Order: sequence, then structure tokens, then C-alpha cells
Amino acid sequence: MTVAERPTITGAVDTDVHVAPAAMDALLPYLDEYWQSYIDDATIRLGGMAYPVGARTTGPPAPDAYAALGEVLDRSQPERAILSCLVLDGVHRNPHYAAALATAVNDWLRDEFLARDDRLRAGLTVSTLDIPAAVEELERLAGDRRYAHVQLPLRNDIPYGNRYYHPLYEAAERHGLPVALHAWGRGGNAPTTTGVTTTYLEDYASNAHIAQTQMMSFVAEGVFSTFPDLKVAFLECGFSWLPPQLWRFDKDWKGVWREVPWVKERPSAYIRRRMRFTTEPAQLPRDAAQVAQVVEMVGPELLMYASDHPHDHGDSSDALLAHLGEDQVEAILRGNARAFYGERLG
Amino acid sequence: MTTQLDVHTTPGGQATKAVSLVDVDIHPVVLPPGLARRLPERWAKHMERYGRRAPFVTDLYPRPRNKGMRADSWPEGGVPGSDYELMRRQLLDEHDVDFGILLCLIPHDAGYDHPELDAAINRAVNDCMAEEWMDRDARLRSSILVPFEHPELAVKEIERVAGDDRFVQLLLPAAGQEPFGSRKYWPVYAAAAEAGLPVAFHTGGYTGHRGAGWPSFYLEEHAGYGVVMQMLLTSLVCEGTFAAIPNLKVVMTEGGALWAAALRWRLDEAYKQLRDEVPELERLPSEYIRDHVWFDTQPMEEPDDPAHFLQIVEQADLEDRLMFATDYPHWDFDAPANSLPRGLSKEQRARLLAGTACELYGLPKVVPVERA
Repeated sequence: MTVAERPTITGAVDTDVHVAPAAMDALLPYLDEYWQSYIDDATIRLGGMAYPVGARTTGPPAPDAYAALGEVLDRSQPERAILSCLVLDGVHRNPHYAAALATAVNDWLRDEFLARDDRLRAGLTVSTLDIPAAVEELERLAGDRRYAHVQLPLRNDIPYGNRYYHPLYEAAERHGLPVALHAWGRGGNAPTTTGVTTTYLEDYASNAHIAQTQMMSFVAEGVFSTFPDLKVAFLECGFSWLPPQLWRFDKDWKGVWREVPWVKERPSAYIRRRMRFTTEPAQLPRDAAQVAQVVEMVGPELLMYASDHPHDHGDSSDALLAHLGEDQVEAILRGNARAFYGERLG
Repeated sequence: MTTQLDVHTTPGGQATKAVSLVDVDIHPVVLPPGLARRLPERWAKHMERYGRRAPFVTDLYPRPRNKGMRADSWPEGGVPGSDYELMRRQLLDEHDVDFGILLCLIPHDAGYDHPELDAAINRAVNDCMAEEWMDRDARLRSSILVPFEHPELAVKEIERVAGDDRFVQLLLPAAGQEPFGSRKYWPVYAAAAEAGLPVAFHTGGYTGHRGAGWPSFYLEEHAGYGVVMQMLLTSLVCEGTFAAIPNLKVVMTEGGALWAAALRWRLDEAYKQLRDEVPELERLPSEYIRDHVWFDTQPMEEPDDPAHFLQIVEQADLEDRLMFATDYPHWDFDAPANSLPRGLSKEQRARLLAGTACELYGLPKVVPVERA
């Protein structure tokens, strides 16, 4: 079944809808002369390794303008749609360039999409190579509630619980902005313990592995103890891996808690209060009774609907919604996201 | 305890019992003098002067719990796992272990060293396992350690040792210098499969980095062992290892097992979308996992609701793929009497405690009562 043949979910809070400028030209007006000539001289193109153009999971190009997105919205009539623009996930290492590009992306998102449709929200893009610059960008835009979360690339150089990032979390918490880790991210790092993968298939499946390590990092480093109101979402990372990893994490914490005395409760308690996971990709069993078991173990309150347009991960998420009760469906389609984002969706 | 009911007498008059407990993860240690004694002079001197190249895992992530060991497992003047007599008393005798499989982890990181030193360390450890452990106790079996970063040397070591059928599997860590699905390692797996030996991957090796940097704490390292196993198994499946070596059997050791259910769904779903990239995979990833992969129980993920354990065992089709392990002498030792998941049927317990391991490793199902 292709995406077009699958049932359309309407009226939801859609927490992950992709948009991307078709080319660098769209961002140039938001960059100063220095960066314009830098981009021109180096012939920098937008792109990355995350979504190969011919892979079935990639789908058609992400909407590059409001007109193209409009067709999607006409079909799905979302209550709210949160836009993810991942063009910053390149392999560049220049922290100044990353900061300038983040600003350009945020301004482009506002002018091209947010200003044209009240239903739209967007992830606030920041440079993860320069946290003071990220904080500055957050301060510039956090007052605008149309930026629903700070969007971070799942794959970076340092795990996300590390103190390196804490100034960003302090600012995010102060502004009531959740943090959202989106699948993929910084290219060039192997998604394994050691070497690079020779297949896209493996790289694609690896988002779930890195998400598990990032989830543990937030808890183990005490982010949730230091920032008691901070919330974290995982976008496009799956969720069916959660139960065994939570059991394992809790059990090990009981054994070696003295290493992390700031973790006052069992890790799963923090995760269940503060973290949410989007429904696409769903990565579920084919058997309906087993789907129900998985949802019960995960806890439907942890899930937020995402279409992940235009990506096509298969039809597992249809099975998810088909096998749930009415209350659970309502929570996943709207209630959980409303509670998580609060006034940002207002 | 062996009870009267378990004991039978053969026509020859020897009292026998059914094998009811196999421990698939015991960690003996070879102390530096024992190792040096078995090394060629050049490498003994080298070790004395330069030591090993790899960082010690406990330097990277110190174990803040009884130095990482069972508190009562320190022999006088030695380190846990270095004293056969103490291990015999505390483990084999006390828990009535019928077979115990030795997994000496000392060579895990020897791939950092000179290839010949790597080979010499592995050879020395294999000889030590035979002479100082298995020769002393008929209940013991061992893994073969190999210089896996140098496949041609590894294959030689397999050929040297595999004739001794007390060596029941090959042992590799959970990560090498390349992902373990890499073709570089296939000759090692092929040689093991050819010799009828499963390949066990045990937590450890070059596993600190987790694809997005280094965690800070042992808690993350330890709770992430299963994540590293997911990475490893993903690599083996996606790079076509099982498709290329159809008689390969692998054992995931000390990485948990319940994550296998979600991994199967994840890889199957991805494969259905992306199969045009990997036509060498002729079957669903879950089918390769089902046919090629075994798991041990230590440390097992423990849900609050024991029903969830049984549900995942069914979802992941693990019922005849789980094997009991104590992880002696490490701090999170599991005793067979009180560490099994609740709710298992009698048959499930028997299979988990001994039956599956006997089948995988070709161990006898009946043994003489007096064997030590």
C-alpha cells in the first residue's frame, strides 16, 4: 500500500510534517553578504544523507512552499501541524555557518508558512555546534508561540544529556519550549559503536538505537532533575523499543544509583512524565492482539500522532490506530500533543 | 540440589542424572603471570614494557558497585574469576551446575595490539582454559578466543583448537573495529560454522561510543548493552551475513533479549520498504533472526508485570532461544533459584535452564552424578 492509498487521518495535531527549501536560493535573502558569497564560492548545496531521493521511505520531495503544503493540509485538515525543516542536518562543521543558516531557516519558515496559515507551527532550528549561539537564536524567537519546540538533530557529537547543552535547556524551560529530537542529524558520524554502515537500510534502522542512548543520556546526566519543567519529544524515532529499554534502565539504576545520585526516581518515572514519542514510524507486529499488548506496555499516553509527510515508513501506524479504543485514539491524535505543547498550540 | 528423584542408575551401575542446569556465561580471569608464561618471549617482554594498547573498560566507565564484582568472590591474593576452587564452590557446587561455559574476556580488546601479540594472547588464553580449568572439572566447557581483527590468524586458531570438543563456541565482543556484519569478519564466522561452532558475541569490546558520542556513566554503558546488541544484530542481518553463511549460529551474550521483538518489527518494516537496496537478503530480517540467533538471560529485562515478559517472549519467538546464565563473578550475578522470570511453565523453565543450551552446544542430556 502506498501513502496515497492509505486512510487519511483528519483533524489531528500532526507533530511532524516535513518542509524543505528546494534549493539554497530560498534561504539567501535571509543571509548576509558574507554568507551569500561563502555559499556561492563554496557551491554549498542543501541536502544530506537522511533521505535518498530514490528510496521508497523518502517519498516525494517535501513541500518547498506554502502552495505545495496547502494540498497536504487540504486533505488532512489538521487542527495543528508542526513543520520540521531538517536542512541544517548537513555535514558542515563551521559553527558560524550553522548559526547563520539556523537563523535563515527559522525566518524562511515564518515568512513562507507560519505567516500564511494559523494552523501551522514549526520547530525552531538551532546550531548544535555553538550552544551560546543556539541560546541567542532561541531568545530571538521563543516569544513567538508559533515555534512549538526547539528542534535538535538526533545524531550529534555529544549525547544530549551532557552539560554542554544545559544552557539551551535552561532557556527552553524558561520559555516553556519543549525540545524535540528528530531522527537523523549530523552526517559523518557512524550510527554504530564503531564503523559506518554500508547500507541505507541499516542507517535508517539505527535511528531507534541512537534514540535509546539519547533517552538514557537525558536521565542519567540529570537534565530532568536540573530542569524540572523541561519536556522532550522524539520525532520519527519509533517507540516500540521503549518497554524493554525502560525495564532494563530501571533495573540497572537500582544497581548503580550511587553513580548518579541526582537521579532520584526510577528512570522510567522521569521518562513517562517528560518524554513523548511520535507515531511514525510505528514498527509494530502484524498480529492485532500483539499490537494491543505493545500499546499497553508502552502506554498510549506517551504517543503523539505524526503523519511524517511525505515519508513512507509502511502501514504499521494504520494498524496502531485501527486497534485502539476511541479514548486512546483521541489521546494520540490530539490530547497528548495538546497537553505536551500547551500554549504553543493555542 | 540434586534430589533422589533425579538420579537414575545405568545398566553399568553408574548413577546418572538428567542435565537440568547449564550456565552459559562464566567469566574466568587469567592473571598476568599465567598469561606471560604462555607467551613467546618477545611478547612477554613487550607486555611487561608496554602493556596493552586498549583502554581498560573499567577506566572508561568505573563500576561503582563492589568494583563490578560479587562482593564474596574475591579469592585470597587474587581477583574474582582467577581461582578455580572458589568458582567451583560458589558456583558449580552450590548451584548444582551440570555444565558451565567459560567466557574469558581478557582478549576482547587485543585487536588493538600487534597482530602477532593479539594471536599470542588468544592462544595463551585458550590453552589456559583447557589446562587450568577444563582439565580440572568435567562440567566445564569453554569458548574459543580468536584474534578476530586478523581473520587469517583467527581461522588458524580455530583450526588449532576446534578438535578439542570441550570448546563449544567462538567468542567475540559486541563490537570490533568495524561493524561485525562487515565482510572482513566473514571468514571467521564461516570457519566457526564449518566446525559446527556457534559464535557468541559478549558485551564489551569497542563499544563505548554509541553512534552519537560517548555516554558519561557506567549506568548508561550497562543499561545500553542491549542497544549495542541491537546495533550488532542489525549489522549482521543488513550486511547479509546470515544470507551468506546459512549454517551460522550466533549467541547474544549479556545483552538482554527482549529488545529482539521490536528489532524484528523495525527491520522487517524497513526491509519491506527498502528491499531493492539489499536483494541479497532473500528473507525477512525476522526470519534470519529467528533461525540464526540465540540469547542468554543475564541480565534479563524485568518488567513490573511478569505477563509482559511472557508476551514479549512470544512476540519475538524466543521460547526456545533463551539460555540461562549467571555471569559469575560479576556484581549482577543471577542465581538460578531466584532470578528466573515469574510465570514460566515447568517446560519453559527446563528449556531455559538447560534444554536449549544442550541442543545448541550438543551437550549430553544425561551425565554421571559424580563428575567434579
